Amino acid sequence: MMKQWGVLFKKEWTESVRNFKWLWLPVVFILLGVMQPLTSYYFADIIENFGGLPEGAVLDIPPPSGAEVLAGTLGQFSQIGFLVLVLAFMGTVAGEKSHGTHLMVLVKPVSYFNYLTAKWVHILLISLSSFVVGFAGAVYYTALLIETVPVNNVLSGGAVYALWITFIMTLVLCLSALFRSTAIVAFGSLGTALLMSVLSMYTPDLMKWSPGMLSSHSQMLFYSGDTGDGFWVSLAMTIVLITGIMTLTIYMFNKKEVAGHTE
Amino acid sequence: MNELTQALQENWAIIAPVLILQAILMVVALIDCFKHDKTNGPQWIWVLVIVFINIIGPILYFVFGRRND
Repeated sequence: MMKQWGVLFKKEWTESVRNFKWLWLPVVFILLGVMQPLTSYYFADIIENFGGLPEGAVLDIPPPSGAEVLAGTLGQFSQIGFLVLVLAFMGTVAGEKSHGTHLMVLVKPVSYFNYLTAKWVHILLISLSSFVVGFAGAVYYTALLIETVPVNNVLSGGAVYALWITFIMTLVLCLSALFRSTAIVAFGSLGTALLMSVLSMYTPDLMKWSPGMLSSHSQMLFYSGDTGDGFWVSLAMTIVLITGIMTLTIYMFNKKEVAGHTE
Repeated sequence: MNELTQALQENWAIIAPVLILQAILMVVALIDCFKHDKTNGPQWIWVLVIVFINIIGPILYFVFGRRND
C-alpha cells in the first residue's frame, strides 16, 4: 500500500522536474516577494522620475513599515501568486483525463486514495516551498531595505498564510479531479478565493469561520504579533474543510470512475 | 532619471539577484521551447514572447505554450 503510494508520488515528482515546475514556480515567487520591498524602497525615486511632478515639488511620503511591506507581499501572492499556482496545477487530474493518460495508471489496481493523495501532497510540496522561498526573499529584502520585523511575527504570520494556500490548492485538486475542463478548475478555485477574501473583508463578523479570514489574520500577526478575533475558529474550520474536501473528492472520484468503467 | 540610475547603481548588489532570476527564467523557458518540436502555437512567437515580455513571458510559455505528451 505504502509502496504503491511511493511509486505514484515519484511519478508526479519526475514529471514536475521534467517540465521545470520545480524551477520556475519558486523563481516566480522569489521575484514576486522581492518586488514589494524593492518598489517600496525606491518609491520616492520612481515618483520623482516618472510621476510628472512639477519642478521643485517636494515629496514627503513616510516610508512604509516593515509589517506593511510584508502584508503587501502577501497581497501580491494572493493575486499573481495564486493565479500562477492555479494555472500550473489546474490540469493535475483534469489534463490527464482529457488525454486519457490517467487510465494507464488507473487500469492497474491502484487505489484512488493513493492516486489522489500522492497528487495532493506533491502539489502542496511545490506550492508551499515556492511560498517559503518567495516569502524568505521578501523578509530578507525588507530587513535589508526597510526594517526588520520581529521573527516570531514573521514565522507565525507566514505559517497562517501557508494554511490558506493549502486550502486553495486542495480546492484546485478537488475541482481538477471532478471536472474535465481546466477552465472550470481555474475559475472555480480563483473565484472561491476571491469571493472568500472579499466577503471576509466586508463582512468580517459573518465570516469569522471562513478560511478567507486567514490572510488578514496573518497580516495582523505582522503588525502586532497578535491575531484578530475568531482566529481559532477560522483555523479549525479551515482544517475541517480541507479534510472534508479531500474525503469528498476521493469518494466522488471513486464513484465516478467505477461508474465509468462498468458502463 | 539620473537620480534613479544613481540610486540603482549604488545598490547594485540588491538589484543583481532580481536580474539573475529573470535571466534564469528566460533561459530555461527558451531551452525548453527549443527542445520541444511542438508547442501550442507557432514556436517563433513563443521565442519572442519569452525574450521580450519580462517575467510574464516565460510564465505564459510554461503554462500555455508547453504541450504535454
